[in-house]
Amino acid sequence: MDCYIVDFHAAELGVGAEVALEDSVMRKGLPAKAGSKILEGFIAPFDATVVTRLLDSKYNIAGRIGMNEFGLPSLISAGTNDIYDAVKAVSAGVVSYALCNDVFGVYRRRAAEEGICYLHPTYGTVSRYGLVPMACSMDQIGVACKNPDDCFGLLSVIAGNDPKDGTMYPEKSYVYSKTGKELRIGVPAAVLNQADEGTKESIRRFAAGFTSTDMELKYFDVYKQVLYILTCAEASSNLTRYDGIKFGYRASNYKNLNELYTRTRTEALGVEAKLAAIMGFMVLSQENYIPYYEKAMKIRRLIKESLRFGEYDIIVLPTKISDDSYENLSLFALAPLAGLPSLSFSFKGCGIQLVADAKNENALLTAWEGVKNEI
Amino acid sequence: MRYETVMGLEVHVELATESKLFCGCSAKFGADENENVCPACAGMPGMPAVTNKKAVELGIAAAIVTNSEITRTITFDKKSYFYPDLPTGYQITQWFAPICKNGWVEVETTAGKKKINLKQIHIEEDAGKLIHEGYDTSLVDFNRTSVPLVEIVSMPDFRTAEEVVAYLEKLRSLLTFAGVSDCKMQEGSMRCDVNISVREAGSDKLGTRTEIKNMNSLKAISAAIAYESKRHIDALEIGDEVLIQETRGWNDSIGKTFSMREKETAADYRYFPNPELMPIYISDEWIDKIRVNLPEPAVEKYVRLTGELGLPEFDSGIITGSKTLSDIFDDVTKHFNKPKEAANWIITELLGIAKGSNKGEDDIQIDCVKFAKLMELVDNKTINRTIGKKLLGMVLEEGIDPAVYVAKNNLGMIADTGVINEAIRIILADNQKSVDEYKKGNQKVFDFFVGAIMRKLGGKADPKVVNELLIRQLK
Ligand SMILES: [Zn+2]
Repeated sequence: MDCYIVDFHAAELGVGAEVALEDSVMRKGLPAKAGSKILEGFIAPFDATVVTRLLDSKYNIAGRIGMNEFGLPSLISAGTNDIYDAVKAVSAGVVSYALCNDVFGVYRRRAAEEGICYLHPTYGTVSRYGLVPMACSMDQIGVACKNPDDCFGLLSVIAGNDPKDGTMYPEKSYVYSKTGKELRIGVPAAVLNQADEGTKESIRRFAAGFTSTDMELKYFDVYKQVLYILTCAEASSNLTRYDGIKFGYRASNYKNLNELYTRTRTEALGVEAKLAAIMGFMVLSQENYIPYYEKAMKIRRLIKESLRFGEYDIIVLPTKISDDSYENLSLFALAPLAGLPSLSFSFKGCGIQLVADAKNENALLTAWEGVKNEI
Repeated sequence: MRYETVMGLEVHVELATESKLFCGCSAKFGADENENVCPACAGMPGMPAVTNKKAVELGIAAAIVTNSEITRTITFDKKSYFYPDLPTGYQITQWFAPICKNGWVEVETTAGKKKINLKQIHIEEDAGKLIHEGYDTSLVDFNRTSVPLVEIVSMPDFRTAEEVVAYLEKLRSLLTFAGVSDCKMQEGSMRCDVNISVREAGSDKLGTRTEIKNMNSLKAISAAIAYESKRHIDALEIGDEVLIQETRGWNDSIGKTFSMREKETAADYRYFPNPELMPIYISDEWIDKIRVNLPEPAVEKYVRLTGELGLPEFDSGIITGSKTLSDIFDDVTKHFNKPKEAANWIITELLGIAKGSNKGEDDIQIDCVKFAKLMELVDNKTINRTIGKKLLGMVLEEGIDPAVYVAKNNLGMIADTGVINEAIRIILADNQKSVDEYKKGNQKVFDFFVGAIMRKLGGKADPKVVNELLIRQLK
């Protein structure tokens, strides 16, 4: 097995040691590097709210687990270097659960491919307190585990309003259960047509178990651009705090302040983080703000407004339409851009993901219950 | 050639909140270095920014007292640049939708009344403080990081230093009385940058503009304006210096401005709305609630003191000239219902003691219940005024309870005329020579007798009674 758990906290590994934390979810006293050299030596000064809630409910925290640097997808190396150890650890049975932040779909895709599942909850239902930020308006802690039923069980422990995060829904807690209502599945044919035959067949068979309706995902052709522009803008801003002055990595040779900044960041940020920072600085610059950032924000709103939940309860999507990571981003953009919950798993040997309306995780659970005996 | 100086002001005022703008740290001044710091305001990852509602409410109050148009949906935006006093690499400010626009403040100078127009007021977080130690070491104190401020940006409406000072005093009065800020220039809770340029009188074209910073008193501001406008005029007249658009610091000890940095025209702060701070909607109800709860402004208070309470204009002016004195006045008169007496005590005695110990009026902190009790003790003749004055100093410095102290130290006024007459008799008998002098017409020795008699009585007699009885015995 090539997955690894860094700084495995042996003292905590007792009977039922079960939840691994992606390197961006803070456990007081343990390093939190978010997969980046620039956070070398940084020790989390407090527990993430999700960690506090797990400990309160007597879950054992197994330790930290490796991740892509700041969760950024490996676009330059076309996905071959993606680190998704959380999925591997769950799939190998090392831990029962892993908590991760999946804006770009790395976990949603790999979970389905490795035969486990990943639940990305509605934005604003799980506290971001104690999560190393990448793109604040899209960051959302989700759950990887073998069985969607268990995902919802763990989600009910960690979800609910936290006053330390200002972007949350007011509900103090959530109960996830199957609804009695008959589900309508929205099938975006234009997207599905880009998938391979096996995936098409899986999704057709999935939809056959429910009432289904053809639908169009408007703006799908620019989903990836919008996602990448906005995440780079936000990530570039979240990365400016890593300057070598206060904590984390600091270059050893510098003659003045400017060199301290540039050498620290040159030496310790990886290529994808540098790309995101440069892209973000560009789209936020005075001359590019309106044509790039503001335009992307407008399209983000249009994407949200174009959805017709009510005509369908769930949108079903493949987890792969291309070997190119950047092309594939489009498949995973809807949930973070619109703040929607999403569940991905393997069905009939192919990855599928379901997206429901905000706070309608129950539709995802109901859909899973409907097909779980025939996966 | 005649010249005209044109100035616009950017005034930063720290908001009087308990805690910082986006985290729960204390926003109080005067803590030890890096005492009021948490992971969020030290720039560490993992703590989402959450807006302090009180800061927004104080921003709304500032908008109300400056007659401004309140923006209904405000945003908090990021302004990005790298500097060691900015731990996150961005300052959260209001770039796209500031709290209010188009306000005005009326000022009064020797030339009459004038309306100063305000471009806007925005809420933002302060940066940290760099402390330079030696040639190659700088230390940083994050106590001030993320302390909430409002920046009040005026139009270029100022022509004289007198107008600038009058405006700052007016702002200070409006904002302190509304509870928005304590506006202490010495502590940096009120800071003023002056944008200044000089042009030919009558011209409508502005000259080259410089920005002056680092002035921490009204006196320094006046001096800096005088210096800088003369420098501009000299440059135009003599041409010995070419004016450039730049930021200049004020050196108070040599009385000169110096070049700090040239304006970087290319600075790109990459402003964008903070993605984790939702736009805030300000409703009519919210504004009305703040408006009706605003404390009485200085102008209205002045009218009440001179009218309803019948205080002299001079006393009313002093009391309403300072929020601190005004609060003390309100507090003591709650417990001691003689406003004229109270005003007199505050202005002559309390301010006298404060000045004696080099304290400004806004630095006075006194227990008003004890202060009121003290005035009561003098008023009902339990103690005399001289002892009262002495005890006021002890209430102020040590917080003594005057009634307890008087009883414990037996300072109650000697009312028994027999005791006083006996003391007078002894003093006169001991100083027969002086008595003779007095009888020859030397009035000066009378004061000497009073002093000696009061000392003999431990300072506890009523000087008026001593005077009367002394005159009688000297006859
Ligand atoms: Zn703090």
